[in-house]
Amino acid sequence: MELLTQPIGLSHYLVVSALLFVCGVACMATKRNLLGVLMGIELVLSGANLNFVAFGSPYLQSKSLGMDGQMIALFVIVLAAAEAAVALAIALNYYHTHATVDVDKADELKG
Amino acid sequence: MNDEFARSEYCPLTTDHCPLISVNLSDLLQDVLSSTTGPLMGSFRPEVVISITILVILLQRTFLPAWKLGAFYLMLLGLGTAFYFVVPWHGTMEGMKSPPPFTGMLVADSFSVGLRTLLYLFTLLLIPFTQISGVPKREDAAEFYVLVLGALLGMSLMVAANHLIVVLVGMEMASLPCYVLAGWQRNRRFGSEAALKYAVFGAGAAGVMLFGMSLLAGALGSAHLPTMASKLIALFELFPQERSAVVATSGLLMLGGLMLFVGIGFKLAAFPFHFWAPDAFEGASAEVGAFISVASKIAALGLLVRLALAFSAVPDPGALEKLAPAREYLVILISTLAAITCTFGNLAAYGQTNMKRLLAYSTIAHAGYMMMAVAAAVAVAGNADRSGAEEAIASLVVYAGIYLFMNLAAFAGVAFLRNVLGSEDLHEYAGLVRRSPGFTVCMALVMFSLLGLPPLAGFTAKFAVFKALYETGKSPIHALLAIGVLNTVLSLFYYLRVVKVMVIDPEPADRTAPEIPLRSAAGGYFFLLASFMLLLFFFSGGVANWARRAVESLLM
Amino acid sequence: MDTLPLLLGTAWLLPLASFALILLFGSRMGKAGRGAGFVATAAIVAAFVLSATALTVWLSAHPIEAPAGHSSATADSAEHGAAAKENHAADTHASAGETTAAKKIIPPVAGDWYELGAFGTKRITIGYYIDALTIAMFFMVTMVASCIHIYSFGYMHEELSEVTDHQVTLASGQHLHRRGRFHRFYQYLSLFCFSMLGLVIAGNIAMVFVFWELVGICSYFLIGFYIERKSASNAANKAFIVNRVGDFGMIIGLMAVWTGMGTFSFGDYEMKDAQGRETMRPGIFSQARPAGNDFQLQAPDGMVKFAKRDEIAEIVQKSENAADAELQIEKRIDGWRKDGFGYGWLIVAGLGIFCGCVGKSAQFPLHVWLPDAMEGPTPVSALIHAATMVAAGVYLVGRFYPVFTPEVLMVIAYIGCITLFIAATMALVATDIKRVLAFSTVSQLGYMMLALGFGGWLAGIFHLFTHAFFKALLFLCSGSVIHATHTNEMPRMGGLLKKMPYTGITMLIGCLAIAGAGIPWIIGLSGYYSKDFIIAQGLVYQHANPLHGWLFYFSVAGAGMTSFYMFRLWYMTFLGTPRDKHVYDHAHESTPSMLVPLVILAVMSVISGWKVPFTNLELPALLTQAIPSGTEEGAVSNLTKFYIPAEHLSHESGVHFFATGIAFLMALLGFVLATAFYGTKRLDPNDARRTFATLYRIFIHKWYFDEAYQKIFVRPALAISGWIAWLDKNGLDWIADNSARLMGLCARLDDWFDRKFVDRLIDLVAAGTYRLGIRLKALQTGSLRQYVMLLAVGLAALFMIMNFYWNFAMSKM
Repeated sequence: MELLTQPIGLSHYLVVSALLFVCGVACMATKRNLLGVLMGIELVLSGANLNFVAFGSPYLQSKSLGMDGQMIALFVIVLAAAEAAVALAIALNYYHTHATVDVDKADELKG
Repeated sequence: MNDEFARSEYCPLTTDHCPLISVNLSDLLQDVLSSTTGPLMGSFRPEVVISITILVILLQRTFLPAWKLGAFYLMLLGLGTAFYFVVPWHGTMEGMKSPPPFTGMLVADSFSVGLRTLLYLFTLLLIPFTQISGVPKREDAAEFYVLVLGALLGMSLMVAANHLIVVLVGMEMASLPCYVLAGWQRNRRFGSEAALKYAVFGAGAAGVMLFGMSLLAGALGSAHLPTMASKLIALFELFPQERSAVVATSGLLMLGGLMLFVGIGFKLAAFPFHFWAPDAFEGASAEVGAFISVASKIAALGLLVRLALAFSAVPDPGALEKLAPAREYLVILISTLAAITCTFGNLAAYGQTNMKRLLAYSTIAHAGYMMMAVAAAVAVAGNADRSGAEEAIASLVVYAGIYLFMNLAAFAGVAFLRNVLGSEDLHEYAGLVRRSPGFTVCMALVMFSLLGLPPLAGFTAKFAVFKALYETGKSPIHALLAIGVLNTVLSLFYYLRVVKVMVIDPEPADRTAPEIPLRSAAGGYFFLLASFMLLLFFFSGGVANWARRAVESLLM
Repeated sequence: MDTLPLLLGTAWLLPLASFALILLFGSRMGKAGRGAGFVATAAIVAAFVLSATALTVWLSAHPIEAPAGHSSATADSAEHGAAAKENHAADTHASAGETTAAKKIIPPVAGDWYELGAFGTKRITIGYYIDALTIAMFFMVTMVASCIHIYSFGYMHEELSEVTDHQVTLASGQHLHRRGRFHRFYQYLSLFCFSMLGLVIAGNIAMVFVFWELVGICSYFLIGFYIERKSASNAANKAFIVNRVGDFGMIIGLMAVWTGMGTFSFGDYEMKDAQGRETMRPGIFSQARPAGNDFQLQAPDGMVKFAKRDEIAEIVQKSENAADAELQIEKRIDGWRKDGFGYGWLIVAGLGIFCGCVGKSAQFPLHVWLPDAMEGPTPVSALIHAATMVAAGVYLVGRFYPVFTPEVLMVIAYIGCITLFIAATMALVATDIKRVLAFSTVSQLGYMMLALGFGGWLAGIFHLFTHAFFKALLFLCSGSVIHATHTNEMPRMGGLLKKMPYTGITMLIGCLAIAGAGIPWIIGLSGYYSKDFIIAQGLVYQHANPLHGWLFYFSVAGAGMTSFYMFRLWYMTFLGTPRDKHVYDHAHESTPSMLVPLVILAVMSVISGWKVPFTNLELPALLTQAIPSGTEEGAVSNLTKFYIPAEHLSHESGVHFFATGIAFLMALLGFVLATAFYGTKRLDPNDARRTFATLYRIFIHKWYFDEAYQKIFVRPALAISGWIAWLDKNGLDWIADNSARLMGLCARLDDWFDRKFVDRLIDLVAAGTYRLGIRLKALQTGSLRQYVMLLAVGLAALFMIMNFYWNFAMSKM
């Protein structure tokens, strides 16, 4: 509760990124629409990104990750983009074969 | 200050203070060049060759589309060159630890050389396999091979990772092409579904792993693995005094480590992160299945070893006991997962009728065995005498090498039979011994080897790992050994069922499929692989020696 | 001399190679196996060449010097004997004494090829013992065998195609049709040659025994060659079984030798002693007649010690250590020996070995198999049952001679005498041409044994050689006749000389040889010389032991009977009017392949007693080189009063002159009688038969031996085996069956338990595992959302587990 009253520090960033993370995971786990699932993935990656940046900021803590944090964040953005591209291509392929983007319809492979 | 930077272990760009102001551009350039070009001409040569091969294949695809087998030959050439560069022809792998290339991002030691040898060898064997089995078709072969090479590049990074970003980049580079490869056959429903599940699950796992990495990096204040280890030691040294802080941080570390492990578990298909594996294997074609099951598994294990040993063993013997809590944590985590994974994999394979699915569960089980070896290594990494941990990792390398051949052979068998029978269902294999006795015998050999029966290579592999488990002398590891042995017994059923169906079941009267004689390309290739089952058993001493050489500079 | 083992060894093994080749490929060699004959003949001829080479090697190393006063065929001896019977007796005796004293001891070439096993100081080996006797035997055996191999080409010609056996009637009433077995015949012949030569070259008595049995087996195969004929298979069984009876005694003798002498080896041999040094250890002959004792027979140390073993045990107990005990024993051993201890075992050894010879050489009382053995093809009879195998017994007596005590020699003489007499009587009345020859063989073998028993080693062995040649010749001629007339019965033959001149003439030569014909005191056929030696030795023996003189008289009578029945045979076959027109019409001369051996053997029958012109080389002189050391001197029996005279006494011209006269007289008597009965038909055989009706009955029934043996041995044995079979069927089998049933019951009980409980348990476990597996499979639902959910849940669960553990660990710290 003290978080709500303190000045913005590291923990706030961590809380927000955790929230993003949890939202993303919840999205992945519950959405029926394939594109929704992909959005959830993006949310997760964003949360992690935020974490890195927060840890890397020298203004929020003295012994920070430093430039590593920002570098990693850049890499993650690129990777997320690549992943999104690939995932969307796969989603398109799925749509071509199943004529739907409903994830629940993808249950022929089971057991 | 420049000297200090130059001598520091990692990227001189990060310090406690804001460094940007006091850095000299020429020094910067010099550092970058020296730490980059060196490896580019040295330990990183194979990866460079692979990158060049990707380019050349793409160019050939664009400018010389008439050369149908172009991709095949270029691939062979490229991989052959990479293989040539990675194998230490002068025989020794010592002294390969320093200096760490790319300012400490990668590790160039015997372990990375060993695993990369395995990876490139595997891909070299895979290429003819794809040509013989006809997937991919000639027109699409270039893209297929480019994807494979891309994944390979990522895997090469994974096994040499020394920095969290390389872990991430390597993993992603290795996984993304595999998602596409899983859905390679565009018009098949199963393929697209498999790719979907694989991609989504993989992306999710990667996201979780990334979050965990961020927690770890933040808590320990660095993303460079050796630095993180020393920071961890410093943290533990604080322990009795600042108890609460340590406990809080270690809670965070634990979570972070666990989430990091989710990503690795995903790559390894460990329970409960394996759900993608059966579907992906069933939906993808057998060739892709071979690639995923072997190459990414080997890379994932390499990565696991890197990460686990980074936090369990440091070169300085004095600091070794301080890492005991980390070691214990890792041992419990890895061994629990290993035990559950291999038991689950073996048991769930019982009800499978699709061969690829069966092999997927078998892959899961084998991953369990291999994780046991890592658990053993971590358990004894704290001893002053490093040979215990080295033996454990060496046994892992032996297992990985033999597993390479076994699984490739199994998937090759499935692929060839699919070409001939048009089905991957186990019951379609009934009575094959009458039509293709040689092929069936080779398949039986492969199954027995996967099972771990002497005098086949699978036995050597299992025996090496079990021996390493036994020699740790610690009872939790011995419990793991008991579970491992029990699981070997459990796995008897489904492997022998394959053999039984092929040999004993009567042939269906209306089968019109031709046989696979051993003299054909498919039969000959399969026979070659099956003969390795025997050869590797009889040359197990040589294999073990090579594995030992591969780990000698791992723990230095 | 070093090449001798190689030459003779190769000659020995060549027939084995031929046997192996024919065994493996015989039926494929040439048309209908004809090539087998060439292979076998080539092998044996090559062996003959090697034997001849060995002979020349031996002669060049040990040339035969001119003997003084002992030669038989020079003009000198004629004058010598005639002029100076009394004056020169002493001189010749002295010169004979000098010669014998000057007779140098030619060491035999003895050694081992291969050691089969060693038990402390005793060992069993494959070895050789080569002296003049060995070489001469090799020469003779290979020559006769070569002739017979060539002869068989013609005789066994019918085996090259399908054969109709007229002596076998099947149940359907038809005669048997069967495939020809040409190659099989030569296969057995080769095996036989290998066995016989192995027996001759053997360097130890165990090896002799092995090959003894081997020749027995070959005889079995060959007698029963026409296996579908009941008579032939019976005869083969009889031969083998009767031989076995003799071998029983031989084994006892072997055991006595092994225990008493500690070795089987004839000659001295090298062995590593306890310290690892190679020392020469004495063989059988050296132990029985040590050089230290002037080569006189004495009980060997081992036998003396065995006889006195109780006292030796006492000595060993009373003394402090082994060396002391040894010393004590050594002091006493000569005394014990003089007291006669151990001598009995020597007699046992000798009698045992001789027992084997009785069986093999068809001596009384084991002579019954040889007449029946004529069921085999005639070349077989010629080779085995005339020239070689039956001679093996005599050969072994000759070889083992140094070990025979005078008592044993007397037994040999008696048995030989009885044999020769009864066999000759049987031959007087037999009508089957081969039977007559068979009885004749038995009789002549008796002669050889008698000669050896008389102390005439040279006489007996020389007769062995000459007998081989002319008996083989006689058999082959009879085979020629049988082949031409398709009958064995002499009453159906007659007047065949016109139709088969070559056969007739060669057979006549054979008859003359066996009768001992010649111009007395001047020259004669081979049989003349050998028979002379025997009669001469008999004379000397009779002079030395008047009590046993009747042995000599019987032998002389036997000589007469020999001449009679042989000429009877010849007259009945070749002269006179043909008694069966059909047979006469069919008769024809044999092919050259059958005639050439006849001629060769006829020549050998004539010349084998003569010297090779312009040299000193003659067969008796060669054999003289092989006379065992110490035996020339005669012996005195320890137990009873009789003497074995020294052989050279028989060579004294006086004795010799007398002996020649007697022998010639008897031969002439027999010839005259035979001519009277069968040649000129002055006397009628039927009259003689009626006059001596009882005797005739006894003779024609072969002295009722077969019937006696049947009653005494065969019937009781069959009865006993019948009782035992009943016991086995009703007693033992009942036990066996019921215990098997009991076992079955136990097994069924066990099975029930196993099936009900153990299997259930295992099935339960297996089913449980399988069900678990199927349930786990259900975890994979196929729904992506569920997968991701499970990922998160798994993560959370793991976290909680690790948290618990971590807190636990932290609280402990």
